[in-house]
Amino acid sequence: MHDLLTGLFFWIALGVFLIGVLARLIMYFRGLSWQLDRVAYTSHPGAGFKGAVRSIYKWLIPFGTYGWRTQPFITIVFFGFHIGAVLIPLFLLGHNLFLQEKLGISFFTLNPCFADILTWTVVISAFFLILRRLVLPEVRIMTTLYDYFILGVAIAPFVTGLFARYQVGDYSFWLNMHIFCGEILLIAIPFTKLSHVFLFFASRAQLGMDFGIKRGGMKGTKMAW
Amino acid sequence: MPEGKFCNKKPIDTAEGINELLSDTSGNNYYQEMKELDIDSDLLWKTIQNTCKSRTKTWLEICAHCGMCAESCFLYQVNGRDPKQVPAYKIQSTLGEIIKRKGKVDNQFMRDTMETAWSKCTCCNRCGTYCPHGIDTGIMFSYLRGLLYQQGFVPWELKIGAGMHRVYRAQMDVTDEDFVDTFEWMVEEYEDDYPGLTVPVDVENADIMYTVNAREVKHYPEDLAEAAILFHMAGENWTVPSKGWEQTSLAMFAGDWAACKMQVESVYEAMERLKPARMIGTECGHAHRATVIEGPYWAGRKNGQPPAESIHYVEWLAEALNTGKLKIDPSKRIKELVTLQDSCNYIRNHGLKKATRDIIKHIVEPGYFVEMSPNKEHNYCCGGGGGFNGIGLFRKQRNIALLTKRDQILATGAKLVLAPCHNCWDAIRDLEEEYEIGIRWSFLKPIVIKMLVIPEHLKPEE
Amino acid sequence: MFKKILFATSATQASDHAARVAFNIAKNYQSSLNIFHVMGVPTRGYSQVVIDVKTKEEVAVDEDYTAWVTEEVRTYYEKHLDGSFEHTIDVAVGFPAREILRQAKTIKPDLILIGGSTGDEDESVYKKNSAGSTLQKVAKAAKCPVLVVNRPAASFWGGLSNIVFGTDFSKTSDKAFDFAMKVAKALDCEVNVFHAIDITPLHTGKILTQDEIEQQIRESLRKIRARYEPRLKELKAYSMDVAEGIPYMEIVKYARDNMADLIIMAHHSRKVVSDDTRLGGNVEQVIVRAGCPVISINK
Repeated sequence: MHDLLTGLFFWIALGVFLIGVLARLIMYFRGLSWQLDRVAYTSHPGAGFKGAVRSIYKWLIPFGTYGWRTQPFITIVFFGFHIGAVLIPLFLLGHNLFLQEKLGISFFTLNPCFADILTWTVVISAFFLILRRLVLPEVRIMTTLYDYFILGVAIAPFVTGLFARYQVGDYSFWLNMHIFCGEILLIAIPFTKLSHVFLFFASRAQLGMDFGIKRGGMKGTKMAW
Repeated sequence: MPEGKFCNKKPIDTAEGINELLSDTSGNNYYQEMKELDIDSDLLWKTIQNTCKSRTKTWLEICAHCGMCAESCFLYQVNGRDPKQVPAYKIQSTLGEIIKRKGKVDNQFMRDTMETAWSKCTCCNRCGTYCPHGIDTGIMFSYLRGLLYQQGFVPWELKIGAGMHRVYRAQMDVTDEDFVDTFEWMVEEYEDDYPGLTVPVDVENADIMYTVNAREVKHYPEDLAEAAILFHMAGENWTVPSKGWEQTSLAMFAGDWAACKMQVESVYEAMERLKPARMIGTECGHAHRATVIEGPYWAGRKNGQPPAESIHYVEWLAEALNTGKLKIDPSKRIKELVTLQDSCNYIRNHGLKKATRDIIKHIVEPGYFVEMSPNKEHNYCCGGGGGFNGIGLFRKQRNIALLTKRDQILATGAKLVLAPCHNCWDAIRDLEEEYEIGIRWSFLKPIVIKMLVIPEHLKPEE
Repeated sequence: MFKKILFATSATQASDHAARVAFNIAKNYQSSLNIFHVMGVPTRGYSQVVIDVKTKEEVAVDEDYTAWVTEEVRTYYEKHLDGSFEHTIDVAVGFPAREILRQAKTIKPDLILIGGSTGDEDESVYKKNSAGSTLQKVAKAAKCPVLVVNRPAASFWGGLSNIVFGTDFSKTSDKAFDFAMKVAKALDCEVNVFHAIDITPLHTGKILTQDEIEQQIRESLRKIRARYEPRLKELKAYSMDVAEGIPYMEIVKYARDNMADLIIMAHHSRKVVSDDTRLGGNVEQVIVRAGCPVISINK
């Protein structure tokens, strides 16, 4: 089981993920239309690029925008969730060892204690994200089962990972579950709302180009995000 | 009844058509007929497939339903934080549903969607700047309006408005002759006070081609005279086109993209005919957006620019004051608390916040200007944008929408509101009428004229 | 003389005294009277909706409504429209001053006749959206003489026999004088030329001595004689006077003392001064206070 998960399944998951992401990004940018979107993307590449970079970069900084600053609670929860959700899969020691073995590459690794804190932050933040959906009327009205499902797919590797980490019950069961959930996550990314992990950049870049080219950027006004 | 006599899918292309629809007082029959209007689901779905591309599709798909846009929407705030007013919900439950059902929606759904599209969104685009994913719901509502217009589900006044553009190339029944005639009449009326005042019609290669809002011609032509006076005082070489003088576009509010194209092309033709160095429009927000920001795309101009450099009136005024073309008598500056309404259409959506504040520096005694909060690109809509002001059916909703601006103005303590935008001006006037908070409101032109230093050679003989 | 008169009316009691004068003139001088009523002021942005000036409600204007309002106006003045003079009725939508001027531009009347303030001013729909009163704006921009009847007292009018012409020796005053002469000759009236010296400290910058005042009076009288007397001689009766005080008060007093039935003055304030007629120029003040109709001449 373990071999299958770390072997064939891993390759399938990684392949689907990479090809899926690439294909969707290409489709996204090919689907942009200067006339329908009413943004002259190609005529003003410089202004567009500046706008796009600014639009992404500002929103990546916690409390970096009016939007983040006006709603501190969700900002903390969001970043609590997302920082861990990005760092842990890539920079956990165990993950790097695995990658080294499979792909012959490895990244910088996190201090294990710090990694624990990050993982717990992800799970706790996820709890608050769910709580928000249940409690706040303006979020509840839009929330569908699909939203919970997506959240479930996203945190399953973290929860199972924690079980394995603290060796609750059968370690190898939790490890396999963890790997399985991780692979499901990889496969789900290109095809579900989880595509926002890369389409976030695409969409932000697009609106950034809009502001950079059409809505004031070329007048010399940088949007005060 | 698939197509009604008044309410149908056909755009209005004749003066008779306009009159006929106008004869249906308040659109009573029109809305009655709308209840029976069929939906052409095939056409709707085909249109969506052809025009709903990756940007909009992605927006609808990746929306995390996080609700962060809620607080950004003044209509949400002012309607008791009704979750049905959350921008993401509003668009998901309308456009999102239409796409999900591949256009197979019923009459009741379309009428509800019409209500949402025109009474729960003013296309101010504020939510777009508060979404982490960069989802601009205002843009999607504008797109949705186009789909609704195609199917005949559009408020009565806007069907008429779009028809006006198709027939008169103006938002009201003002002909080209009326325009020139009225402008000349106004200049004549004021030439005693301002010797040498003229209205140069159709002059080629002028520095400035001036375009207006048809309502000025129809109801307050003094505005035309004031524009002429200020150009005259600044010593500008300016002209107005006898054709293509209307800068506004109710067709944009209506979602009648074909009419938008016709309208804006009439202005571009004037630019190409007269070859001015620059085009300047009057103090109107949506007119600027229609002709300068969105117009190039309707007209198929790939670089996104109008044929001649086009600027907003506040840009010209700021420039004229900054360069000293117009001089203000400091003793006549505004010496009372005064605030400024930032128009979404050219502040948030064209970055002109500095121009208006430059003007303020010249015309307001230091210490008397109070910013609204929030302001600049984060300012709230006046409450009447996107066509909201004129729609009788949604008048109640519009009056509620004015509360945001009312409270913002009250918080400044100012009794004078500068509103360099026709729509904002109207909304602020209406809010005074509705809620009587004792404020005055004004365009910039009349205020500036009162405090000008008139050059010796332009003074009237005594 | 007054062949074609544009009578701008609210078709309410507020215009009744003006109406009395209008019908009187029309009957006595065989004028053709255009009764013009601005029925509504635009509201709601670009829509067709107006605020009805009478009911103060929002109404949608269409052909039926226009016809109905026209009929209302006709009914209101029914007993006066006895066929003794020609009349037409027009109604329009817009801001009153502008629409009155637009109508004047179209029909080119010899005289615009207009009432004073419309009822309780704060409530009047006409007041909305416009800085300065309708009256000020029309008087400033009209190309023909504008006759204003503000106070009810001004409307008890038998006919024209005694005109007071108030002058400030400006070019516009000369035009007003031409007009006064024209009226006087046509209707065989007496003309009393009058000038008031402003002795308010606000105007003079100091308190004048009596010698200074009397010096000015003598000078003004000389001026009047030189400027107007040669032509006044064409008339059967005329007089010339100068007085000191607050100008508009002096004119009103002079007109009252001389039992004038018409005051003619030049209007040449450059700007619409204020929302408040009480703060307007001399002509406005005279209009507000005079016990007889006032004609303001602009061009």
